[in-house]
Amino acid sequence: MPRRLQRRAARREAVFAWTLVAPVILWLGATLVYPLVSSLTLSVENVRIIGSAGRFVGLDNYLSILSASAFWLALARSVVWVVGNAAIQTVLAMVSALILEQTFPGVRVARTWIVVTWIVPTIVIVIVWRWLLSTSGGMINPLLIALGLISQPVGFFSSATSAMTSLMLINSWRWFPFIAVMLLAGLQRIPNDLYEAAAIDGASRFARFRRITLPLLQPTLFVLTVIGTLLSFNVFDIVWLLTGGGPADATTTLPILIYRTAFKGYRLSEAAAMSVVATVLLMGLALLAVRTLAPGEEDR
Amino acid sequence: MLRRTLLTAGAVALALFAAGAAQADPVQIRLWHMEQPPQRVARVQQLIDEFNKANPDVVVKQEPQNWGEVYAKAPAAIAAGNAPDILFAIPDFTTVIKGLGALDSVKDFTDKLDKEHHFIPATLRPYAYDGGVWAVPLYNMAISTWYRKSVFAKAGLTPPQTWSEWKHDAEVLSKAGLYGAGLPANKHLYTDQTVYAVLVNDGAAELFNDDGSLRFNNPKTVEAYSFYKDLYKSSAPDATNWTWGEAEACFDSGKCGTVLQFTVISTYNAQGGDPADLGVVAVPHADGLKESNTISYSNAAMILAKDPAKRQAAEKFISFILEPTNYGRFLNMEPGLFLPVTEDGAKAASFWNDPLAVKYKAQIETMIANSEHGMLFGFTKDKVMSSIGAISAQNVIAETLQRIVTGGASPADAVAAGQKEMEAAAK
Amino acid sequence: MRRSPGVNLALAIGLAFLAIIALLPFWWVISSSIKATNEIVSTTPTMVPHSFTLEHFAKLLTSSDYPRFLLNSLAVSAASMAVTVVLAVLSGYAFFRLRFAGRDFLYRAILLAYAFPAIVVLVPLYGMMSAVRLIDNLFALVVINVTFAVPFAIWMMRAFLAAVPLEIEEAARLDGASRLTILRRIIVPLIAPGIASVGIFAFISSWTEYLFASVLIQSDANKTIPVGLAGIIGQYQVDWGLMLAGATITTLPVVVLFFFIGRYFVAGLTAGAIK
Repeated sequence: MPRRLQRRAARREAVFAWTLVAPVILWLGATLVYPLVSSLTLSVENVRIIGSAGRFVGLDNYLSILSASAFWLALARSVVWVVGNAAIQTVLAMVSALILEQTFPGVRVARTWIVVTWIVPTIVIVIVWRWLLSTSGGMINPLLIALGLISQPVGFFSSATSAMTSLMLINSWRWFPFIAVMLLAGLQRIPNDLYEAAAIDGASRFARFRRITLPLLQPTLFVLTVIGTLLSFNVFDIVWLLTGGGPADATTTLPILIYRTAFKGYRLSEAAAMSVVATVLLMGLALLAVRTLAPGEEDR
Repeated sequence: MLRRTLLTAGAVALALFAAGAAQADPVQIRLWHMEQPPQRVARVQQLIDEFNKANPDVVVKQEPQNWGEVYAKAPAAIAAGNAPDILFAIPDFTTVIKGLGALDSVKDFTDKLDKEHHFIPATLRPYAYDGGVWAVPLYNMAISTWYRKSVFAKAGLTPPQTWSEWKHDAEVLSKAGLYGAGLPANKHLYTDQTVYAVLVNDGAAELFNDDGSLRFNNPKTVEAYSFYKDLYKSSAPDATNWTWGEAEACFDSGKCGTVLQFTVISTYNAQGGDPADLGVVAVPHADGLKESNTISYSNAAMILAKDPAKRQAAEKFISFILEPTNYGRFLNMEPGLFLPVTEDGAKAASFWNDPLAVKYKAQIETMIANSEHGMLFGFTKDKVMSSIGAISAQNVIAETLQRIVTGGASPADAVAAGQKEMEAAAK
Repeated sequence: MRRSPGVNLALAIGLAFLAIIALLPFWWVISSSIKATNEIVSTTPTMVPHSFTLEHFAKLLTSSDYPRFLLNSLAVSAASMAVTVVLAVLSGYAFFRLRFAGRDFLYRAILLAYAFPAIVVLVPLYGMMSAVRLIDNLFALVVINVTFAVPFAIWMMRAFLAAVPLEIEEAARLDGASRLTILRRIIVPLIAPGIASVGIFAFISSWTEYLFASVLIQSDANKTIPVGLAGIIGQYQVDWGLMLAGATITTLPVVVLFFFIGRYFVAGLTAGAIK
């Protein structure tokens, strides 16, 4: 095709493409970009209770939150939270996906019931675990005592480490099936002949996993990890409803701190500053990950 | 010809308009309250229906809210211009709403109600400051100590009146396999309340000095926290997660020997408990003091509507509730929890005739007697500090306790840190 | 490929383990919701109920607007699903099959939507909804649900579209079909299972949303299930029976739904599989 016609065709393609993406851009622009800008404005004022007036105070809020230990402690806890969740969920999801990929009695129906913890609202998860872990009527304490693992009922949310661990386990329990199903889809896209050829060459199961499965799964795993990390960082309701950030702030991750500062401490501008910092950090992290590790996102 | 048509049309229109104006649209009143349990919502609806029927020019609608959310939702609604017309409140919440400029004084109204029904002074006090009255008291709650008489009899104990008796009782009961003192240690309003119930029994009731500075950090406070820490050893291992419900459940299931609660009557009864076995006494006081005090919450109604017609309608509704014939039924939306704020309410047949009130008459009478020595942190003086809102919302009193029992800090250090937190919140 | 008995055993154990951790808690909840209260709170919990009562469900249904909450949730989730699917299909096609300036940048930017903590969005969005009088209106929830579901939904589209050979499109172009026609008549039918999966994902995401629903909705009549349930449960009393009944009655509809359409979720995801 002559260059002129080529350019015209390309332009028409671009115009068509833009009409297709315009609705999404507008939608997300209104519901995400506008609030971000609004938060930026809030963060440089001194608004206390929502709705009250505030005047411009420059970077005061940023200076005060960044110099307070509360922010850094919450950030550290968020890092622990994200890493813990990622570790537990990835292992559980990977193992589940590998199991669900096999042909085996009960596996096909398992692919449907595995997601039950994902399809129920968080409030149900909260009710379930608050009840199961309580000392009045809960099942877990008596079970552990019957198994001889403990001699007295324990308070799972009573100490800093056990509260954080319990929350991570509960949150992972809730999310790993969804990730497992996504991974399952990725696994099933790997051609069988690759495995067969490797088996003929005498490769063990483990070697097949390492040399074929993992590399080919990597793009899916990568995106799931990045998005999973972002979502994990921002988890709010399960922590808030189960421990409220306690005991003694042991589970006060950054979203909890931000919510508390805004709605219980009535320091809205400070909370806005914290959330801007959090957003910037997360975006930076995601961009960094994509730039250094992105495997062929370009191929279509 | 045209002129006649126009004139007729105009006359008809005018007549219609006049007829319409005469039957003006009823005034809409939106009520927000935090009594979400279904039976409470149903009882409120019953009273609303009666009121709407008797007052066709007003239509009241209730929108039950969640305490956890309303601290955020109400200011947001006010800021956005869709605030409710009546909002139930506790004293510290009122300071927050007042701080937004959303309240006008209702002193004239409460003076009128006072003449008719005689408010119990302690219930009006937390809302009367800065030259006005900012909400109308509606129902009172006070904490008492609950125990089972048979359990105590079996262990050879008498109901505790002093701290040393309480500690002794708790230890004996714990040896018998119970949680002798079901005390919470959650960063939550309930823990604020139980800790304060202990503080007021050690002469540490005042958070503020007369000049408004904080005096949380004082020897009596430290002593009280030390005692709570000691007693907490007899509590349940998951009490760091307890809200009102868990303590009550612990008591109802017989696992807790004593609990500090506003009431356990309706759940105790629902589980088939024997009224004769339910014991209630005042919260024990420190050995050196003569009388017991307790924490009491005067719950009130704030009128946020600015429109005069709406304010009038709101006042009508509130008056309706406080009428002795209706008031008892309002209070008994949760029998044995809500106590009267008016003298004629305290005598009202509608209150005492409720089946549960009949069954648990002795206990309720004790609760009312205890409530007369009730006070609330931040509202013990005639001057109210607006910072109490933030201090309460952030549960600093409870947080200080958590520093001790979970964080391992010494009571003195924790209280000092608590004072700093309060000062920061007050800024 | 033959499997050794050892691997078979491992698989069986693994499957059993998954069943226990995923399903046992729900068994406990559902079976306990029909127990009498004193059996629920007894010191020795029972695996199989010894008593039987429907009083908790009766209390739940008569003293609250549960059917209404269910209807609201269904309406919001269905609408969110529809909008998400349309937006994801349209923009997915553009991102993964067309070329235009700024394509990759825009795609990455959209995925970064998940970097925003809810709080950044919550307060300004409340103000926005208030300004257009959408407070206490279910449509406001649809708006926010779509926002949080669309980026991931677009990513999901990638794999489905990748499975459609470019030749089909090129052949149609040579035949003179417009791009729109290709999208409508050829692409969409071919990726229908994938679209079903995206729809299910969007539906479930909306179904479980709590934070925004609790702030944007004010009256009982417009509450969705998560908020309505949280309200019934309340904090003053721990009525385990009521809570467990609420949890059961919230779990069952989605489980039943998934029983019928669940296989399409996984099937749709793997429709592009070459196996």
